[in-house]
Amino acid sequence: MDFNAAEEEEFGFSRNYFLAKEMGSSGKKSARKLSDINVVDEQELREASANIEPKHQNDVADLINSYKSLYPKWVFDLRCGFGLLMYGFGSKKSLIEDFASTALAEHSVVVINGYLQSINIKQVIIALAEILWEQLKLKRKVSSGSLPKVQQPFSSRSMDDLLVFLDGPEMDEKDSFICVVVNNIDGPGLRDTETQQYLARLASCSYIRVVASIDHVNAPLLWDKKMVHAQFNWYWYHVPTFAPYKVEGLFLPLILAHGSSKQSAKTALIVLQSLTPNAQSVFRILAEYQLSHPDDEGMAIDNLYSISRERFLVSSQVTLNAHLTEFKDHELVKTKRHSDGQDCLYIPLTKEGLEKLLSEIS
Amino acid sequence: MAPSLNDDSPPSTIDEAFTENNLQPFFVLQKGPSRKSDRKSSGTGRTRRFDLSSASPKNSANIEDEKEDENMNLRMEAFEFVWSKIESTIKDVLRVINTNVFSEIQTWVHQSFDTIRSLGTPEFPEATQSFPIITDANSKRLFTGLVLTKNMEFVDDLLTFEELGKHLKYQGCHVANLSSLDFTAKNGVGGCLRSLLRQFLMSSLDPADISILASWYREENCNNPVVVIIDDIERCCGSVLSDFILMLSEWVIKIPVILIMGVATTLDAPRNILPSNALRCLCPFEFTLGTPAERMDAVVEAVLVKPCSGFIIGHKVAVFMRNYFVSQDGTLTSFIRALKIACTQHFYTEPLSVILLEFASEEDNLVFEIERHGLSPEVIWKHVFEFPSCQRVKLNKLTSESLAHAFSELKRLQNQWRAVVLCLYVTGKGEKVRLLDLFCEAIDPESYNQGEFDTNMKAEKDPVLSSSQIKGHVICKAVRLVRDLSTAQLGKLLKMWENLTVGIPEINGKVKELLSLLNVEDGKSSKKDLTVTPRRHTSRIQLNIEKDSKSLSDKAANLIECMVRDYMHPTECIPFHEIFCFKDVDKLQLALIGDPRRGIQVDLLEFQKLLCCRCCTSSSNALLPSMHDTSIMYKLAQEHGDLINLHDWYQSFKSIVLCPNSKRKPRQSPLPKKRKGIKEAESQSEASIQARFCRAVTELQITGLLRMPSKRRPDFAQRVAFGL
Repeated sequence: MDFNAAEEEEFGFSRNYFLAKEMGSSGKKSARKLSDINVVDEQELREASANIEPKHQNDVADLINSYKSLYPKWVFDLRCGFGLLMYGFGSKKSLIEDFASTALAEHSVVVINGYLQSINIKQVIIALAEILWEQLKLKRKVSSGSLPKVQQPFSSRSMDDLLVFLDGPEMDEKDSFICVVVNNIDGPGLRDTETQQYLARLASCSYIRVVASIDHVNAPLLWDKKMVHAQFNWYWYHVPTFAPYKVEGLFLPLILAHGSSKQSAKTALIVLQSLTPNAQSVFRILAEYQLSHPDDEGMAIDNLYSISRERFLVSSQVTLNAHLTEFKDHELVKTKRHSDGQDCLYIPLTKEGLEKLLSEIS
Repeated sequence: MAPSLNDDSPPSTIDEAFTENNLQPFFVLQKGPSRKSDRKSSGTGRTRRFDLSSASPKNSANIEDEKEDENMNLRMEAFEFVWSKIESTIKDVLRVINTNVFSEIQTWVHQSFDTIRSLGTPEFPEATQSFPIITDANSKRLFTGLVLTKNMEFVDDLLTFEELGKHLKYQGCHVANLSSLDFTAKNGVGGCLRSLLRQFLMSSLDPADISILASWYREENCNNPVVVIIDDIERCCGSVLSDFILMLSEWVIKIPVILIMGVATTLDAPRNILPSNALRCLCPFEFTLGTPAERMDAVVEAVLVKPCSGFIIGHKVAVFMRNYFVSQDGTLTSFIRALKIACTQHFYTEPLSVILLEFASEEDNLVFEIERHGLSPEVIWKHVFEFPSCQRVKLNKLTSESLAHAFSELKRLQNQWRAVVLCLYVTGKGEKVRLLDLFCEAIDPESYNQGEFDTNMKAEKDPVLSSSQIKGHVICKAVRLVRDLSTAQLGKLLKMWENLTVGIPEINGKVKELLSLLNVEDGKSSKKDLTVTPRRHTSRIQLNIEKDSKSLSDKAANLIECMVRDYMHPTECIPFHEIFCFKDVDKLQLALIGDPRRGIQVDLLEFQKLLCCRCCTSSSNALLPSMHDTSIMYKLAQEHGDLINLHDWYQSFKSIVLCPNSKRKPRQSPLPKKRKGIKEAESQSEASIQARFCRAVTELQITGLLRMPSKRRPDFAQRVAFGL
């Protein structure tokens, strides 16, 4: 009977898929363009999106508060050696952090923000090792035992050594673990296999317990059975919060924002790498200017020209324009009319994206 | 809901500003107990405080809390005790299963080592040189044990290889365990070498060089083989593995390495991933591990059937776990994990589960003292009376003694049940009767209550009904097998039954009786041995014709039938089983198999059920402007094909949000003002609607339910999920 049900379900999936496909291709497909919408200015849009009036605020707060009754259970599960995995619609960041700071007050808690673009997992593990070291030192002092000397600072040790240290023999008090909260363990900064492997190994360490959240429907595909069963040892909790994804969505482009911010640092990097070193350097000048003058509307073309010439990157306005055309074609650079009437250039990327890009082309 | 209420709402946990921390890749939220000395952590330390707190005057609620806390800590202790017992039992069982293979491998390792040594040991000057010695092709052969795991799921074998490593280490070998993760193209052969050095030399030297390993081995007296275990070669990067093999083969005289590799598929596997020059270096031997089903049965027998920890699972839970193993996950590891989750759940929800601590450790004379468990007697008695199993038997007065008596009765019944199940299992073992299936049937309280086993037996005798139509057919199959046995086989089987039923005189006596009958028969039939091997058909005909001359196997079959009927009480039919038995299959399923794909979609489609607001609960399926934006958007998306035209989507979103004929949200602007300023509000809110649209799209993108427009199709977003 179970098999039949499963088969039926599977069949339903494919049927739905083909029905949807058919609907899409059966001529009824609307040809209307996104540009037909009278989109307001990007600035205004961003402002408006920062001031969206939340709906159901009280209901959402009630819902989140209702999870408080689960806190003791979560602590119990952590003490039993499971990792907690929270899923469901809505930002779970504050819920988990609230849990960690109220119910795990006696434990050290480190939070990883997986929704950010770049996370150095080694830095995290070094920080964890340092915390554990302090904790052990303190305990040994109390129990007047001796602790082996650290031969090497943690920051210069290899990942394997650090993980071995974190996976040390159990202490007398079994539940003195360090809690690692991972917001969006399926987030862009943690999504690659290597990082997930390190996270899994971290999660299996005896001193570490992980509380993580996922938001993507396909997040479980990140893990194989070894990671799920033997390392993360997930205990699933369905905790929809309906809280807005404020920070999580901060780095995603607004769909109506002229496609300008659709340009991600990643595609920009690919384009830049294909350009000549001189062109890259010109871009770098512009980027550095933008970073050092965050309030400016952009860099004046004259200004860019003079600096580029000083550094022997361009010989004439014509060569600079050639570079600029290339940039504009690939949407790396945009022009804007400055308030004093002059045209100026800017890069449609966030500060973080720009910094990351600069570090990667150097 | 007035707007002022919103402002005054309890310090909402969601609306924290973008603090600095939110933009840090990671940060330390809090440092652990800094004053460790004056305050014990919430662990077991607290239990001792109980006496003090009861002495100091406190209000009753506080005392209750304290007791609850105390009870919770005791339950944690009990859980740790029970689980460590289960875990060590499982480890032991798996070790026993592997004993034969392990010792086979061990002798092979030593033989191979001797062979390598017979090729000559390096002289001192040679040995100290930092390059390999190669005399002839023979000296480049690398002895390789291919261990067939018979299991595609390598996760089950991780422990096996770890144990194998320990076993060989114990026998004096130098052992290193490498996983397929060490053989990645990114790290190259240096990665595996580094891992080897780390495991043998206990240090990580940066220039990973095999000559370091050679000089290490020389210092280690050269008397023991070096074993390198790779858990799953099929997941290794082929080129790195072949480099590794070529390198080791050149050094084999100086470092007598013996490789052991796990193979999940067939013996062809090395041929498929290694080039011929690497293959030529291997001198393969083959070993085979037990199948997952065998291991599963052994684990079920040791943990769930035989007395282990006292913790048991209910029928529904068992069936769920079985189905999950058979048709979904297929790993023993996940089965054990499910058991652990069940165990955690049970100890968390059942206050009386602390009893398991004593129930498991003490044998028969259980002295039950409620007060020891941190809960007040009234609470406990009330709790006990609320057990459905307790209400069924209509106990009207309970004392500690009666409870203790009930527990010993429960133990007695469990022993009987266990004996019958094991008898059935040994009967069907050869005929592919799986203990897991048998177990699931044997603990089914419903078929027991309805006397289904009994009727099934009758149906079984009636050849019209095929066994597949009958519930409980594994048990019937085992019974039927008894009828088909020859006298010699029957004798063996009865001996086994006799051993299994030792503690239960009721059954044991009958088995002995049959055995003696058999011996008499045996004596008689020893002359005409060949004629008395009643096959099934003949015996069935005989049965119909002359009922009183039943053959012995029929008698045996009747015996086991009656054992099933009279002595196989499923635990769920025994009073007070709730204390020991976990039955909440839904909770287990939710915790074990998260289903974000379905879960998140359901959240969006049926958000009213979760938020319980009054404004959005309408009987119709109409979309209301008060609904959650992302939810509206996702519901709208359902009406599109695989591609969603953003323009249309936006327009329909807008029309719903601005819907004039639907009731506005009560907390929004009061009515008279609304009519006047509607146009103004509209133009004003254009930006806000667009912003809301954008945010909803972003949120759908975060959940992965929507793929953003591509360059090729800038006006269309793509749906990802079709159906739940």
